[in-house]
Parts: sequence; C-alpha cells; structure tokens
Amino acid sequence: MISPRIDRNTKVILQGISGRAGRLHSRLMKEYGTNLVGGVAPSKDVKDINGIPLFPDCASAAKATGASVSVALVGAYDLLDAMREAVAAGIKMIITPTEGMPVHDALKAKRLTQDAGVLWIGGSTPGMAVAEVAKLGFLPDVSLKSGPLGLMSKSGTLSYESGYRLALRGVGTSVWVGVGGDPVKGARYSDLVPFYAADAQTKGLLIIGEIGGHDEEDFADALKAHAFNKPVFALIAGRTAPEGVAMGHAGALTYGSHGGYAAKRAALEAAGVKVFDTLNAMVEGVAAKLL
Amino acid sequence: MYLLEHDAKQLLARHHIPAPQGCLLTDPANVTTLPPGPWVVKAQITAGGRGKAGLIKKADSATDVSARASDIIGKQAKGRTVNAVRIEQQVYGASEAYIAMMLDPVAAGVRIIMAAQGGMDIEALPRDALRTTSAAPDVAALTAAAEKLAASFSGVAGQALAEAGCAMAAAFLAEEALLIEINPLFVNTDGSWVAGDAKFVTDDSALPRQAEQRVLLKDVCGAYVETALKDAHGCDYVVVDPEGEIALLTTGAGLSMMLIDEMRGAGLKPYNFLDIRTGGLRGETRRLVNVLHWMHQGPKVKVLLINIFAGITELGEFSRLLVSALNDVPEFKVPVVARLVGNGMETARGVLKDAGINLHTDLDAALAEVRTHLQSAQRGGAK
Repeated sequence: MISPRIDRNTKVILQGISGRAGRLHSRLMKEYGTNLVGGVAPSKDVKDINGIPLFPDCASAAKATGASVSVALVGAYDLLDAMREAVAAGIKMIITPTEGMPVHDALKAKRLTQDAGVLWIGGSTPGMAVAEVAKLGFLPDVSLKSGPLGLMSKSGTLSYESGYRLALRGVGTSVWVGVGGDPVKGARYSDLVPFYAADAQTKGLLIIGEIGGHDEEDFADALKAHAFNKPVFALIAGRTAPEGVAMGHAGALTYGSHGGYAAKRAALEAAGVKVFDTLNAMVEGVAAKLL
Repeated sequence: MYLLEHDAKQLLARHHIPAPQGCLLTDPANVTTLPPGPWVVKAQITAGGRGKAGLIKKADSATDVSARASDIIGKQAKGRTVNAVRIEQQVYGASEAYIAMMLDPVAAGVRIIMAAQGGMDIEALPRDALRTTSAAPDVAALTAAAEKLAASFSGVAGQALAEAGCAMAAAFLAEEALLIEINPLFVNTDGSWVAGDAKFVTDDSALPRQAEQRVLLKDVCGAYVETALKDAHGCDYVVVDPEGEIALLTTGAGLSMMLIDEMRGAGLKPYNFLDIRTGGLRGETRRLVNVLHWMHQGPKVKVLLINIFAGITELGEFSRLLVSALNDVPEFKVPVVARLVGNGMETARGVLKDAGINLHTDLDAALAEVRTHLQSAQRGGAK
C-alpha cells in the first residue's frame, strides 16, 4: 500500500533550492520540523543554503544523505527531467508544487513514477503535511493543527482556508495531501483511500474538490470498493462556473457534461459522502462528527 | 483552451483530417467568398449544445446565409456572446460515425472511443455502440491501438475510423491535446470521410511551445480572452456575469470559485473570478492596477470585495501595494471591503485604516458590509 505519511526522521532533499521559492520554502519547511538533509543546486561556490548542504545533482544528494523523499521546486518545463533524475537516484516519493507542467509531460511523469513504484504528489500541489510534525511544500502553519481529520485537496487556498477554520473550531488534521489541480496528476484521491482506511490517527476524511475531470467520481467508487467505514465529507468548488473556461487550475475545465458539478455531487452522495454547499456548513458538519 | 469549431478544423486540417469546405464570418453584411452551397451556418462559441440552442441553421442562398448569420451573431448562449459563424458546405448522403481521443488520467495514457453511429451527444449514444481502448502516449502505440479498435467495425465505417484514427493519433500528440472529438464523422459510401463537427481542447500549459496555437490568441472573435489574458498578465481573470455588482479581488483558484458559489447561493451577484497570485506580485502594483481597470469596465459593479488568505504572502506589504494601486485608478470609485487573514495582519489593518478601509477577518462580516454598500448604492441610484 502506498503511504504519504512522513515523520521527523524522513530524510528530504530539495531540487532547485537556490531559486527564490527554494530558498524561502527550505527555510519554512526546516523551521516547521522537516528533516531537510540536502539541496540540489548547480553552484560550486556556495556550500549550503539555510544550513542545508548543497549537492550538484540528485544522485549525489541521495547517495550522501540517504534521502527517500524529494521536493522539486524547478520550472514547469524542467520538472519532467528533475523527476527522471529523482527516480534514477532511488527517491521513493516526489512532491512537485510547480504550477503549469504541460499535461503531456505529466503523462510521461506518471508512467515513469508508476513503473518505478514511486509515489508522486503533484503537479500544482500546495504540498503535504503531517500537522505539527513535518511538511513538504507550501502549507501555511496557521492551518496546520494535529487531529483526526484526513484531508485531500485539489486547491491550495481553499484547503488553507478550510484547515484554518477547522483549526479555529478545534478540528485538526492527520495527514494532509494536496493532490493538486492538474488534469493528469500523480496520486489521485482514489489512490489514497486504502491509506486513509488503514491510518490509525485518521477518524474521518475530507476531500476538497472542484469541477473538471473524474477524480471525485473515481474517489466515490474507491470508497465503495474498499468498504471505507470512516465518515467522509466533501466540498466541491465551481458549482456556478461557466463551461469551457479553465477556472485558474488547468484541470478545472468543464465541457458539455464532462467534469460537471452535478455528476460529482451525485456520485459522492451515492457513496455516503456528506457534501456541503458552504465552508461554514462544512466546518460545523465535520466538527459535529469528529469532536 | 477549448477551441472554436472553426479553429479546431483548421488545426485538424494540418494533420490530414479534412472538414467540409467552410469559412469564418464575423460581419453578416460582408458575405464575399462562399464555398459551394447549400450551407449550414454555425455559431462559433466554446460550448456544446449549439443545435438545441438554435445556433446552427441551414441556408440555401447567399442572402439566406447573411440573414441566418444576422440571426445568430450577437446572441447570448451559456454566458457568452456569439461573435462569429462558420459557413460550411452541407453534407448529403453520408453516414455518421464517432471518434474521440482524450486523456486517460488513471492509466497515464490516451483513451480512444469509436462508434459506427454518431451525430448526437456521446451520452445519448447506445452503450453497446461505443467501443473504447487506452494506449500509451506515443505515436506507435496510439496508432496501433486506433487501428485495432477500428478493425472491430465492418465496412466503410471501419475503414474511415482507421484512417481518421491514425491521423488523430498524430494530431493529439503533436498538438499536446487534452481532447479531440469528431462527432459526426461523415462517412461516404466510397469510404471517404470528413469531420462534421470538431471539439478540440488544448493545454494552456503547453502554449509557450505550441507556436501555432499561440497565434490563435490574437483571434478576432474574442473566444480566448481568458487564456490570452493569462498569457500576457500571469493571472486568471474571468468575467462570470457581465451584469454582476461585486468585483472580486481574490487569490487562489479553488477559494475564488468557492466564494463565487457561496455568494450566488446567498443571492449576491459577483462580477468576476480572479486568481491574482499574490506570490507573483513581487512588490509591484502593475498587476493590481490592470485588474482594477478591468473591473472598472463592469457597468453594474458597485462594490469591490477583497478576499485574501495569505499563507506565505505578507499582508502588510500586500496592503501597501493595494492602496497604491487603488490611488492609481481613481476612476474606479466604489466602496472597498477587505477580508484578509494570515501573515502580517496587524500591519495590514493599520495601512488599510489610513486609506479608510475596514479590515475584516470574518468573511460573513465582510459580506454584510458588501450588502450595506449595495443597498446604499441602490438608494443613491433612486434619487
């Protein structure tokens, strides 16, 4: 079974650490408790960034540090190569927050990681976290409180806002995975259903979805197939979005009945998922079940 | 990018997928060179269901073409205005088949769907008429899979589906498509075939390396304003209701969509969707100033609501940029309601207060202030 769970001992490297995002987020992740053991950057003169030792390539970083996880903060058109490097170096989980990876590159990246048995989270993912333990990517600390709720989201901001309001209400999260808003992604909601079913800390599961694609429908099928017996909640954005326009996320595009809100809601409800219309209703509904 | 049928057919023609002869018309008074008639006049909008909406009409003479075009151009459908029609030669005596290729996000490949019947919605086609397979995203595998699937159909339909399938496999990969659907595929008794209608969705993320698709952004029909805008300005902006009363300055696609849904659910009328990407402002007001200019074009916009959840962005810095941008667009004179949560909130509160703007942390409280402004605007309008 694939597991995205990390802890304080999980060794992580950052590909692209010398860029603007790499410098900022390596510091924020390290401060949060993530065991960042190395960074990949071309520079020969600099030995470390934010106290994290630098390596010229992924293979030497992985070999020297024994890292099993990589966060790749490189340009959208460099992602596929960075992922090839990481897989070749024996990395077992890759997080790619960069937005705008071409979809046909994502098809290749998905085949590559699937064939190698590597867990890919992304693209366009805000990252993932085990609250109050470690985080990979951009998730803001104010939204992260440890607790019983498993959380998966396509959107970054909507999950930040949800996590923040849930935390204020006293509901924390167990393992939070931003699956990302791209049409072809690594881990999809349905892939992680067995993990959340088995995870002892998780007492309930929230998915934050949006229009476009079939991820929500496939998630509903997976819940039934695995006889998932913890309460499941959903918030789906884009109920009133116009057809034929990508709403910010490349995957949030409906055409005809493809990817529409109604089908998602119906599939989720048929699988016993409680679907909410507003953030407030979601927070209260989750709190009523889990507190 | 969901292409207009006309653009889709032009692009497909480059990959040896022919369509009936046709041309694009934006001005009904200016019908010059037409293909041989009779014709069908088809509204060019990026949404399905045009036939049912009365946006596809037949015409027998040039005058008739002009009249039908006048009927259709300017019509509103699915929140969009029809700015152009494609005039196309009618096809007679052909049978109709169906062929499509689309992303397979589960198998990381390309799904192929074929049927010997076509012309109606795929959902309306009988289940047992549809045959499907999935292949790896490379030309050899996709072509072989298309040929194999086509071979399960007999007669001229099978032959046409095989030829169209091979051409479509090359087109799908070369153009980095998300979807190509030809429905109907007109098949003549001699085995020749043309694309009756075409739905083509391309990948915005691949645009920088797809030069021929990028040319379409300069089109005359205003079909791709959102993609063109993102390409030029680095943010996502969509007018969701031209009659909307509330301009939204928001960041994050999911949160912005959700806010629009919730506001509409509560009877409010948002004007636009926006993912400003606060992380990409880099200390400059330019993007904010542009956005305020666009919002100012909304004829019924009466209030500006700012909703930012800042995980990483520093809100003090953002607020200074915002106040400066508002000063740069003095003609956009509407009350401003701000709801900000996150890093540097207290600095932001001071900066906004000096500019006469209340900072809310609770979204419901912010929406209550929006309602107050809408009511007083209404009273002001009645005077």
